[in-house]
Amino acid sequence: MNRPRLITMLAVLGIAVFVLSLLIGPARIGPVTSIEALIAGGNEAAMIIMREIRLPRALLAVLIGFSLGVAGAALQGLLRNPLAEPGIIGISASASLGAVLLFYTGLAGASLLALPAGALTGAALCVLVLLVISAAQASTITLILAGVALASLAGALTSLVLNLSPNPYASYEIIFWLLGSLKDRTMDHVWLVIPLMVVGWAALWASSRTLDALSLGEEGASGLGANIPRARVLVVCGVALCVGAATAVSGAIGFIGLIVPHLVRPLTNRLPSQLLLPAGLGGAALLTIADIVARTIIPDRELNVGVVTALIGAPFFLWLVIRSRRELF
Amino acid sequence: MKQFGKRIWTGALAAAGLLVSTGSVLSGPSVASLNVCTDQLAMLLAEPGQLKSVSNLARDPTLSSLHEKALQYPVNKGLAEEVLVAKPDLVVTGTFSLHNTTGLLSRLGFAVEEFAYAQSVETIPADIRRMGRLLEQPARAGAMASRFEHDLAELEPLACSRKPVALFYGARGVALGKGTLAHSAMQAAGFTNMAAERGYEGVAAFPLELLVQDPPDLIILPRPTPGAPALADEILSHPVLKKLKATVTGSFSRPASLSCGGPFTMQAIHELRDLAPSLLPCRKASGS
Amino acid sequence: MQLSASSISISLSGRQVLKGVDLGLEPGQVTGLLGPNGAGKSTLMRALAGQLAHQGHVEIDGRAIAGMSEVERARIIAWLPQQRVLSWPISVQAVVELGRLPWHGWRRAMSQADREKCAAAMDLLDVTGLARRPATELSGGEQARVLMARAVAQDTPVLVADEPASGLDPAHQISMMAALRHLAGQGRTVFVSLHDLSLAARWCDRLILMKDGEIAADGPPDKVMTDATLRDVYGISARIGRDECGLWLAPLGLTEGEMGNG
Repeated sequence: MNRPRLITMLAVLGIAVFVLSLLIGPARIGPVTSIEALIAGGNEAAMIIMREIRLPRALLAVLIGFSLGVAGAALQGLLRNPLAEPGIIGISASASLGAVLLFYTGLAGASLLALPAGALTGAALCVLVLLVISAAQASTITLILAGVALASLAGALTSLVLNLSPNPYASYEIIFWLLGSLKDRTMDHVWLVIPLMVVGWAALWASSRTLDALSLGEEGASGLGANIPRARVLVVCGVALCVGAATAVSGAIGFIGLIVPHLVRPLTNRLPSQLLLPAGLGGAALLTIADIVARTIIPDRELNVGVVTALIGAPFFLWLVIRSRRELF
Repeated sequence: MKQFGKRIWTGALAAAGLLVSTGSVLSGPSVASLNVCTDQLAMLLAEPGQLKSVSNLARDPTLSSLHEKALQYPVNKGLAEEVLVAKPDLVVTGTFSLHNTTGLLSRLGFAVEEFAYAQSVETIPADIRRMGRLLEQPARAGAMASRFEHDLAELEPLACSRKPVALFYGARGVALGKGTLAHSAMQAAGFTNMAAERGYEGVAAFPLELLVQDPPDLIILPRPTPGAPALADEILSHPVLKKLKATVTGSFSRPASLSCGGPFTMQAIHELRDLAPSLLPCRKASGS
Repeated sequence: MQLSASSISISLSGRQVLKGVDLGLEPGQVTGLLGPNGAGKSTLMRALAGQLAHQGHVEIDGRAIAGMSEVERARIIAWLPQQRVLSWPISVQAVVELGRLPWHGWRRAMSQADREKCAAAMDLLDVTGLARRPATELSGGEQARVLMARAVAQDTPVLVADEPASGLDPAHQISMMAALRHLAGQGRTVFVSLHDLSLAARWCDRLILMKDGEIAADGPPDKVMTDATLRDVYGISARIGRDECGLWLAPLGLTEGEMGNG
């Protein structure tokens, strides 16, 4: 498909579900009143609901979805592996662990910056470990198994830290950290993630040409003048910023970075650099849709959005593994 | 005279010896309590030396109104071993706690009495009397229960422009609806429970949007645990709550008084009533 | 451009792979690198292409390669590794266009000149008809030509290719060598390593034979391809002949006394 057309279609889809997300909520406000309250003011209660509850939620779905899509696409480009995804290979779980370690133990003095700082560090360390493992042994199985091991370890340690907290609510919050939620997020959360994510997107975009060159393998890329160590640093930092910021605010949401690049790749020329923007836009749309489903599928109850993405993503992942058995082994 | 004095002394010594040999319990069985609610009732009704141990939660200020009194007693973690060591005549616990432990204790021949969590203020006097019967302190229990019933009957409806609406709102957007002790206390105090009005039962997720659409007069928030941060505390500083101009929000001064049923529950009800004039124009409420 | 290397020594995993190699490559020629397995051919090529750290110097027209940036070097030397790697099923067109990366780099779009270079490269290697096909679905021979087209599209004065003809059928081997001759004819410096002695003897202007990390023979095919050198370097005997197009060579058997060793 023609690239401008693809980008336009995905952008339109993203905007459409963004608006739909704004119109859905337990307080039944008509569409006209909602939009009016959002933009112009008017009904006091509607204004507060739209601007302080629905808008941050919808914005975060778009921002986080975009970041996870782009991070997944870039990671796949660097590791040359279509199954690499921040959730599956443990980056989201490590970000959760980092955030939990710094915040619940009071090490960062309960400042709200503790969460993103911890999440970024956790994510970066995990990516580094995976890079070391994949450099020594390039096979897909090794990478996925290492990622699963890291995810399990991070999840277990997160649960441990939460159980050790003297706060009575802490141990219940494990569900948030492992399965993610966008419930009751505020505009403060939005302002917190935007600068981190923008820098992350920039870092990943900067590495994209080298990721293209890596299609020819490390030797081939090197012969084209690619600076591979620099690309590794950019991808590590970019993924850490994107996944870390997202996890700090919404907990671990997985599979976006797997589903979207896979669906979008056949519509591009498959070069990693061409995949980044469509994967981001697709991720924004997918997470927004997942959040809408999480809010509406059970009447009067709300699911964790990570449950919805896992319910779609895990079977999809299984299908991918089975289908590409020949190439993987 | 000297012989008479001697006899009195001997008698007194004998009586003292009897006292010492039967332990410090004069009447009533020795008791161990494994549940924070039974802890508090037992502490209020037991004689000195009767209560062998209380659960460690009895010392937690967020769960126990008598957390200071609990410092006098040895604590247990609700384990069967601890009960075996203490060898009480009676074990009191809650119906929903530690079923494995209570089952084991029954099999080992201990007398175990289970108390359900209080879901309504009306059942509190009956629980007090039952504990009194078990501890063989009927007089004390009877007095406490009667005082509670009296205070409950004396509560007059609030004389406000309308019935005030309140909501207990907690960690991650959870409210206390119909069937909880807090709901019953709110009703006794003359308030309408916003969560119950909307059909929510028990501890239920209550959407923030509904709070904005139809703000209650009072929102009661949990207290943050000092030195132990958690995401649950985020709700306390949610910008939306600050924007509700017509609503008073704040933490209850006695966070533990509505987690268990007892005389302290009445104090909570009075405290709620006293808040009413600050929310709505009310004529001075009597009987507080 | 003239590529000259002096005292190239490399030691890998404790083993001395290259022992002080000196050589100079001239433009307008196809220079073939031959030698038995383990002689150090790939290692030497990597060193010349700036891909491997080494002792000694490599210079292009007097300028040291070590001092250049990676992009500058990529504009001067095109390196085609032995291992054919294609991580994604990208189209042949896209693969060849990757060869232009050192030139347009950050600029997103390719210019008309870039596109022309790609078209010319694909034409030379006869892969224009495969342009839309995913490169991973091609046969070994087709893939080899596509990857060579990528190196040609890089449009560099120097081309260093490690066994570009291996695994190809005879027709494709010959057309690959013909393409290399064409490039040399344009004034480029072409350096290729080969296993096929006959192909090398017939199509190269100059041959360098390596054995055990050192250069054993260097010169035009007539001078290098002798019974003596074949026996010393490869341990084989061969029939060598000449016709109007060039030398031909047919390996016959192992020389006596070399039975049982490589």
